[in-house]
Amino acid sequence: MISNAFTTRLILMAGSLLLTLAARAQTRINGDITGPLGEPVPGAHIRMKGSQSGTIADSLGKFYFETDRRGNQTLVVSSLGFKTQQQTLTIADSTITLSITLDDAANTLEAVTVSAGSFEASDKAKGASLTPIDAYTVAGNGGDISNALRSLPGAQQVGEREGLFVRGGTSDETRMFVDGTLMKNPNYASVPGIMQPARINLFLFKGVLFNTGGYSALYGQAMSSALILESIDLPEKSSANFSVFPSNLGAGFQHLSKSGRSSYGGGLAYSNQGLYNKVVPQRPDYYHGPEYTSANANIRVTTGKTGILKAYVAFAESNIGMRNPDTDSSLLRSDFRLKNPNIYGTVSYRTDLGANWRLDAGMAYTFDKNMVHNRLLVGSNEPIALPNAPFSTKNSDITLRSHFAQGRAVFTRSFERNQAFRFGGETFSFRDIQHYNGTAATLRDQLSAVFMEGDIHLSENLAFRPGLRAEYSSLLRKAVVAPRASLGYRLATGSQLNLAYGVFYQKPENRYLFQNRNLGFSRSEHYVLNYSKKANNRFFRSEVYYKKYRNLVQTFPDITLAGDGYAKGLELFWRDKKTVRNLDYWLTYTYLDTKRRYLDYPESIRPSFTSPHTFTIAIKRFFQGISTNVNVSYSYAAGRPYYDIRAGGDAGTRIYDSGIARPYNVLNLHVSKMMTFFKKSKFKDYSGFAFGANNVLGTKQVFGYNYAYNGQFKTAITLPAPRFFFLGIFMSLGIDRTEDLLDQSQ
Amino acid sequence: MKTLITTILLICTAAFTFAQNGDYSAQLDASVKKLDQAKSVADFQALEKTFVQMGNTRKTEWLPYYYAAFCNAKIGFLLQDDGEKIEPYSLRGEAQIKKSESLAKGDSRVLAEIYVVQAMIYRTRVFISPMTMGREFGPLSDQFLKKAQKLDAANPRATYLEAWTKYYTPKLWGGDKDLAKELAGKAIQKLPATAFSVMPHWGKAESEALLK
Repeated sequence: MISNAFTTRLILMAGSLLLTLAARAQTRINGDITGPLGEPVPGAHIRMKGSQSGTIADSLGKFYFETDRRGNQTLVVSSLGFKTQQQTLTIADSTITLSITLDDAANTLEAVTVSAGSFEASDKAKGASLTPIDAYTVAGNGGDISNALRSLPGAQQVGEREGLFVRGGTSDETRMFVDGTLMKNPNYASVPGIMQPARINLFLFKGVLFNTGGYSALYGQAMSSALILESIDLPEKSSANFSVFPSNLGAGFQHLSKSGRSSYGGGLAYSNQGLYNKVVPQRPDYYHGPEYTSANANIRVTTGKTGILKAYVAFAESNIGMRNPDTDSSLLRSDFRLKNPNIYGTVSYRTDLGANWRLDAGMAYTFDKNMVHNRLLVGSNEPIALPNAPFSTKNSDITLRSHFAQGRAVFTRSFERNQAFRFGGETFSFRDIQHYNGTAATLRDQLSAVFMEGDIHLSENLAFRPGLRAEYSSLLRKAVVAPRASLGYRLATGSQLNLAYGVFYQKPENRYLFQNRNLGFSRSEHYVLNYSKKANNRFFRSEVYYKKYRNLVQTFPDITLAGDGYAKGLELFWRDKKTVRNLDYWLTYTYLDTKRRYLDYPESIRPSFTSPHTFTIAIKRFFQGISTNVNVSYSYAAGRPYYDIRAGGDAGTRIYDSGIARPYNVLNLHVSKMMTFFKKSKFKDYSGFAFGANNVLGTKQVFGYNYAYNGQFKTAITLPAPRFFFLGIFMSLGIDRTEDLLDQSQ
Repeated sequence: MKTLITTILLICTAAFTFAQNGDYSAQLDASVKKLDQAKSVADFQALEKTFVQMGNTRKTEWLPYYYAAFCNAKIGFLLQDDGEKIEPYSLRGEAQIKKSESLAKGDSRVLAEIYVVQAMIYRTRVFISPMTMGREFGPLSDQFLKKAQKLDAANPRATYLEAWTKYYTPKLWGGDKDLAKELAGKAIQKLPATAFSVMPHWGKAESEALLK
């Protein structure tokens, strides 16, 4: 037996030895690193702040290391794709076991995107970003997408003409593309001094990209702006809808197959303003209509796992007859008669080709017949022919038949981290036959283009999109190359700086090409700088740009491409959905400084379709208790310049008179109440009443002046009536489309 | 001697395990008590971190992930006018509640609790952008609420969420404020006034808010 004393000494000795050892020894730290949901994070770096000690986690996220440090220390844990985490711990002599959870890095949520020069309204929008419905429900847009977008910065308020006038450009410089292909005649044919409605229903589109400058190399032949629309895929359910407004009738349906893989549908609309014009007197004396008839049909079929084929065909015709006082004689009147049937068809197909490739293909066809008869009238509307100027040219018969077809294919190869390379080609075939007082002329053009574009992420916060487009026109016998580039730099979550540059070519309008075919392309160059911030249901965007025009059409003394010009400006946009509950508003300000030497302008002047300052407000409020939407919009545009330009004494033209028209000032109101008429029926209906008034205050609008032949008189170009009203009911069966229906029935 | 060492070792192991368990229970207890008092986004953010940490340490318990998801749902409700700001919370909450479901081992009353929070998470997705996300996530939220009610008709939190939905849905789409108040009253009645437990027991303050 060992003595007790010895045992005690032994224990004491061992104990002191252990203590000494412990004091000298390293402390072991072990633990595991997990992601937000406990999944191991292999390869995470773990180290002590301010020391060399540390390690890397194994394949199960476990680690251990030893340290001789004591007291309060900080452990730093980092791994790619996670937020670096610091953890304080107190090291004594005993082993420490840790369990550390890392958070996902916030920035990996969304990749930075390039967005200079463009306004996107998407069905995937979040927060205060625009959705298509937001754009469509701006009061007073009359169911016209172009009109709706006039409430965004960059667009001018041109009340006497349809279309988008962007940044010093004419409406011809804006082109509309549906699923990649050109929609050549989005509106009914122009009528002098009166805005014409859109042919196509807004609600066919789920995505709207309004480019006011520096747009993608995938599109061309638009010097100012590209309006890129994406049509809807399969409907959610089968449905039928109709609306009755005294002067507009509409009906449509969509049928979704049982398998949910295909659908078909159609719609009819008829509008005749004749009755309305009897009640609300109009400035022109309409003796026919205005009457608009349209019919459309569509088929959508999904193919394979990712493919979808969409076909749409529409017929639309306008029929208008009107008389106005003649600008040159108070004894005479001028008669304008227009008939404009149009057929539009488009087929688009998109599919994935394997894991990394995608194909977007499309075809479009348009036939447009524009028949205009101008007559000079005397007494009780008797036609009269006067042989001397200016009256000799006032009787005319013009018929323009335009055939247009397009084919297009784009291939996309996608790479990791949202990077992509796109390339493709397209060809446009134009055949235009003009009959002018019996004389026929034909223009044919085959315009082809190839293009490529890359999405490159230079770093986590920097995206670069270079592009190149080459175009050749068989009519002009010219080829051009247009480089494009844009850059997006994320400053912080939600805030971004963007840059864009591009060269844009466009062939001159047919009305000039009929007179001179030896013209080339007109050209513009854009430089855009943009800053945007989105946060907490608010969205701020500001943009400055400079745009240079070259080779613009001049019509005097001959038709040449000797014109030029510039535009520069500043644009602001602010949207706020947060401050007041259920109230959504946006404000825009557009400053535009532009001059051009073009058409018959004798020098570089501000074009008559531009205003230096434009201010718009769009307000929307939903009153939940009474299921009523109230939308108000207000626009102000500083007065536009007007000119009396005629041939001067020498070879050129002269400005005999000029001025600034009064500012444009318009308040529009739109109220709709939603309800259900048949509560007990098995088909639930979503219905309602809508009421609207444009230019509620009846403000007198003067867009410009028409001068008499000798400049002695000028006639103001103004609205056909001080105010415009509509009132009606709409109904949708099967699917809640109340929001949608509200606006197409205006 | 040998038995002595074995005994000491055994006691040590037991003590250690007990200490660890005690640690988890105590921490959960304390955190849930804190959660009962939480009001601000910052409160819920801090608690969410704690619950996630507990979940990741224990790995097999549904409750910490459930509470983490609940914290994210509450943050979403508090930020409902802040649009895209909600999204990261909503996405995290969705992942956490799915994790919780996977650990719940098919207990129907537990699943009912989980689906109520999942329905709340999908409701927060609607707040991001009612126009674009409402059509998808509104019905999904309703679906999970119905699932919860089917599994446990007596669950007061499901009744509360139904009341909330009725209260804030426009009349046209089936909203009814009077019915909402009635349901909120029922939810309060269903909530037992028993002693504190870490099991889900929230819903009183939320229901009362609808009655104001």
